Amino acid sequence: MANIREIRDRTESIKQILKITNAMYLISSSKLKKARKALESTEPYFYKLQDTIESVLEHTPHTEQQYFNRRSDIPSEKRKRGYIVITGDKGLCGSYNHNILKFAEQKLKEAPDIDNCYLFVMGQVGRMYFQKRIKSVDGEFLYTTQNPTLYRAGEIADMIIDKFSRGELDEVWLLYTDMVSSVLQETKSLQLLPFERRHFGKAKDGSIRKLPKASFVPSPEKVMEYLIPNYAKGIIYGAMVEAFCCEQQSRMTAMDSATNSAKDMIKDLSLLYNRARQASITQEITEVCSGANSLDNQE
Amino acid sequence: MAKTFYLEIVASDRIFFQGDVEHLVITAIDGLLGIMAGHEPLVTSLPTGELKYMVEGEWKYAAISEGFIQVMPDKAVILADSCELPEEIDIKRAEQAKERAEEKLRQKQSIREYYETQTALKRAMNRLKISQKNFR
Repeated sequence: MANIREIRDRTESIKQILKITNAMYLISSSKLKKARKALESTEPYFYKLQDTIESVLEHTPHTEQQYFNRRSDIPSEKRKRGYIVITGDKGLCGSYNHNILKFAEQKLKEAPDIDNCYLFVMGQVGRMYFQKRIKSVDGEFLYTTQNPTLYRAGEIADMIIDKFSRGELDEVWLLYTDMVSSVLQETKSLQLLPFERRHFGKAKDGSIRKLPKASFVPSPEKVMEYLIPNYAKGIIYGAMVEAFCCEQQSRMTAMDSATNSAKDMIKDLSLLYNRARQASITQEITEVCSGANSLDNQE
Repeated sequence: MAKTFYLEIVASDRIFFQGDVEHLVITAIDGLLGIMAGHEPLVTSLPTGELKYMVEGEWKYAAISEGFIQVMPDKAVILADSCELPEEIDIKRAEQAKERAEEKLRQKQSIREYYETQTALKRAMNRLKISQKNFR
């Protein structure tokens, strides 16, 4: 008899959890819809910005701009590296947080000196994770990853650029999760500062291309001074939108599979329950019958 | 018909405009700048301001906040934080934003806060200016 009650209790508790996971599934799917929309409308800007900046840099005459200063006089082990890591605010989203944290961890390992690494973690989960193990987490860097806004991205960009120009950081990397397709997510790193001129004036075969020099109004320095914070803001915003969308996507998938496996378990348990119930009824009937039989025999 | 060039205006939340235009007037850091087909390659940043472009002989206005423009021989690209048509501007919201910013400016602030509020005020005033232009 105890067995039956145990099974019933367990089924009940699974049903309760099923309700929760199902609700979370619904919430994240509606949030995902919103995030997808935001992503779709931001993506053209995000890619266009990267393309345009690249081509602008190609046409830029060489300037002594601080944002291009690679500070190559500082040896590799003394360089102060800043990492902006975008994680989720909450757990229960499959391997999303795990992947980005592992990726960040690996990046930290690659760095020659971990004490010269500075972490700027967005999202509660990542902050909790790193605060315990690494000292150089900026404690005042408190930003959520929920509903990214351009304003928040601007604040972050301002702060990072400020730190860079004061020499508190020599390199800034952005680590986030990129939504390749609705089923494929990829952790990505992007160098934010200093600006790399990868293709500057060189074609693929290595010969120097003749590029028309664009004119800058009023001057290249002035324009760059304006353009680069703007670029950083755009890039951070784009990454935030991508990451938020990924988080919702993986939470939805995780909750969907949790709901499904809860349903499976309920199915199995109800089969077990029915069997146990049947067995106990059979047993009772047998007992009654044998009791009656023994009475018959006594007479 | 006047010569046209391809213009793309991409705001951070949408593609605002794509197509051939005859004439484009932007507000650059130090004043208005007109661009027509065959303009020399140019890069400049755009503060919060007004933007107008001519499509088939008709001027179209838009409010733009912080961005930059790249003019290449074959096309021009404007990338901005936001870009709105006059009729899309929510006047009430802009007015409230303006009041809020003015109120904030009266109080003591750090330098950074001061700049932030000032840009917010600029955005609001720009929106109001352009929305009024539309109804005239």
